[in-house]
Amino acid sequence: MRNTAAVAVEVTGSEPVAFENGRASLQTWRAFRREPLGMLALGILLLLVIAAVAAPLIAPYPPSYGDPVLASPNPQHWFGTDSLGRDVFGEVVWGSQQSILVAVAASAIAIVVGTVIAVIGAYFRRLDSFVSVLVDVTLSLPVLPLMILIAALVGPSTTTIILVVAAFSWPEVTRLVRSQALIVVQLPYVDAARLMTTSPLWIIARHIVPAVTPVIVVSVVVTASRAVLSAAGLAFLGLGDPNAWSWGRILYEAQQSGAMSSAWWLTLFPSIAILMLVLAATLLSVAYNDARNPRSRRR
Amino acid sequence: MYPRKIALAAAALVASALTLSACAPSAPPAATAVAGSQTLTVATTTDVVNYNPLIGNSRSDYWITNLMYPHLLSIANDGSKVPQVATKWGYVNEKTGFYEIRHDLKWSDGQPLTAEDVAWTMNAVKKDKPSGTFYGQLANLDTATAVSPTRVEFTLTKPDSSVVEEIGFWGNIVPKHVFEKAASVAKFANDGTDGGWVSAGPYKLTKVQVGQSYTLDRVDTYPLISGGTPLSAHVVFRVFPDINTEILALQSGEVDLIANALPPAQVAKLKATSGVTVEESVGLGYAHMTYNMDNPDLAKLEVRQALAHAVDYEAIRKVVLQGQAVSTGSSPLMPVLKDYYDSSITEYDFSTDKSRRLMEKAGYTAGSGGVFPVKFRLIYSLQDSVTSQWATLVKDSAAQAGIVIELQGTERNTYLAKTNKGDFDIYAGNFAIMDDPVTNMTLSYLPGGAINYTHVNDSKLNDLIAQGAATTDKGKKVTLMREAAKIVRDNVYDNIMYTQNLYFAHSSKWTGFVSKPSELLSLVNPVSLAGAHPTGK
Repeated sequence: MRNTAAVAVEVTGSEPVAFENGRASLQTWRAFRREPLGMLALGILLLLVIAAVAAPLIAPYPPSYGDPVLASPNPQHWFGTDSLGRDVFGEVVWGSQQSILVAVAASAIAIVVGTVIAVIGAYFRRLDSFVSVLVDVTLSLPVLPLMILIAALVGPSTTTIILVVAAFSWPEVTRLVRSQALIVVQLPYVDAARLMTTSPLWIIARHIVPAVTPVIVVSVVVTASRAVLSAAGLAFLGLGDPNAWSWGRILYEAQQSGAMSSAWWLTLFPSIAILMLVLAATLLSVAYNDARNPRSRRR
Repeated sequence: MYPRKIALAAAALVASALTLSACAPSAPPAATAVAGSQTLTVATTTDVVNYNPLIGNSRSDYWITNLMYPHLLSIANDGSKVPQVATKWGYVNEKTGFYEIRHDLKWSDGQPLTAEDVAWTMNAVKKDKPSGTFYGQLANLDTATAVSPTRVEFTLTKPDSSVVEEIGFWGNIVPKHVFEKAASVAKFANDGTDGGWVSAGPYKLTKVQVGQSYTLDRVDTYPLISGGTPLSAHVVFRVFPDINTEILALQSGEVDLIANALPPAQVAKLKATSGVTVEESVGLGYAHMTYNMDNPDLAKLEVRQALAHAVDYEAIRKVVLQGQAVSTGSSPLMPVLKDYYDSSITEYDFSTDKSRRLMEKAGYTAGSGGVFPVKFRLIYSLQDSVTSQWATLVKDSAAQAGIVIELQGTERNTYLAKTNKGDFDIYAGNFAIMDDPVTNMTLSYLPGGAINYTHVNDSKLNDLIAQGAATTDKGKKVTLMREAAKIVRDNVYDNIMYTQNLYFAHSSKWTGFVSKPSELLSLVNPVSLAGAHPTGK
């Protein structure tokens, strides 16, 4: 939350840009490359994505059971084994697939919904107060209990988790994008666009959305990292998809088997994976924002 | 005269030997524990939701109310019933049962516990229908009457040879003079707000800190243990988030006993832990899967057989249960029920080839990936960690046979609601105590039975169960139940997978616990907690 807010302040403080061009992107990339933490975060994220995509090449899918049970890390099982003798390294690697899928899908839904509502609210000013109230109300809801309730009622599955996380993530996106879009719609070039066409859709798609793209990019990363945390939290409470491995499920099964107090490896490795993804996503968004904003670029 | 002198000398020698032996130091008598001021701290993972023992309970509800409201009968490790409040029980005729009860029990407010309390409890439960196992046992009860202060007789609507022992074991006795003030025992909260609780067990609840602890103080007299007085002054149930924190608390000396059964994978480790003693509790229940025959696919015998042969039972017992479970031979008559167990009924063998052949025989053709065009949804409770683990193994082994099983683990209340609505294809769960085959089969396999999750209605099976309920001839009953068990097994009306022996951990600084079957009774049964005491080391 803190990082999101910080990013929002930074972004809204920058000059709105009407649309992307190659030169600006290049400048951003050059500036980004000078951000060591950003590059490190990008590297970690790429590593995790590669692990997810290439999981079958890295580790065999964890079988139903194995031998020995609760073995500490050793050359055969780098991350040890769980209470059914399954390889924890395999679980973490294959778990990255579901975690990244939830992150991407939930944030994509949240971004689309959040952006559409934000720009509609900003462009059609009569709707803005309604959008504001809707966002404020949704943000004031007790998110975790509601997520638990919905996931419990609907039944745990990857689709449920994606939809539940997305359902509670879009208001944050709307708030960020709206603040930027409100500035953009008052700029002269948008007035000029209104003289060229009567289609609000064209103006929104052609002029407003490109101008808020930096905010959206930052939101994607921040929302994705929050989605991973939410999904892990739900899975730890037993509301994850029992048909697919996830980092939260590894933690949940460790807790259920009563092995948390003795088998430290069961909790350490999936926790590190979650930490790496969330931290990398946050650092990446901050670094991108710095690189994008000429005022905060490293000279 | 010599013989006389010799006799005198011998007598003198014996006398002197006796005198000397009387002077010699004798072996100390066996140490007898006496009531002290110690507090026994017990770890649990749930709060008490319901203080009324007549209503369906969670584990903590059961453990704590069990210390206050006694049962007529207790249970031995082989499922046979043993005296508790009742000293004798049986039938006056085929439609009249009786209990003779102890005369020396009193409620904690000084009122005697009499046959009137017993009869009133039975009639009130029958009338008000509180949810729970007790009411479930009263289907054939007509009315109960206290014919003397120590004898209860009750009439039945039809002959039922199991009902005396089942009511005696499952039903708590409550004080009439307290509970009769409520309009309905099914709605009586019994939360102690009306002047506290009245107990006839070894302990009485005195202090509640929701989310933290439940403190019980001992009563002055509890004749069911030797000495007549509970040894610990207080028993405190402390609430912990989960078994992990319970184990840590035991190891650190924060608690003296964990009420919850240990996860199988933790048993060996805790057995090897210094300062911790692990005790076994014999399993008297079973874990099973039932196939919902309302589903047209599962109504086919071959499909149920295919599913039954697609489970690696041995792997489940070896890996998930860590060898702490025994096969029942896929029969509801578990080996622990020695009189009933039939070793000729054998377990379904694990063979995915056989499963495939059975599916093909049922008319299904596997697609290009070897997968049959059916999908079954298996439900289980997320709070049941062992079932949650083997559900994955069941899914994976069925996949080898080309049968897709989708797991749906849910929170316990949702799981129970789905179970009662029949909203599942495959149900996975377990029963803590299935002590009486006739009662169990009545509930599990007769149409309308409370736990007939298969929704089976087999006339031959129905007839056998009805005959078993009516007969009082033990030999005949055993024969009937074995025949019924074979039908259940051959038709896969129930897929009984194992009986799990449970393990419980306590501090080695405490001793005197008495283990009883199942997690309900285990080491936290009233006699056990009343007799537990520090080792003195």
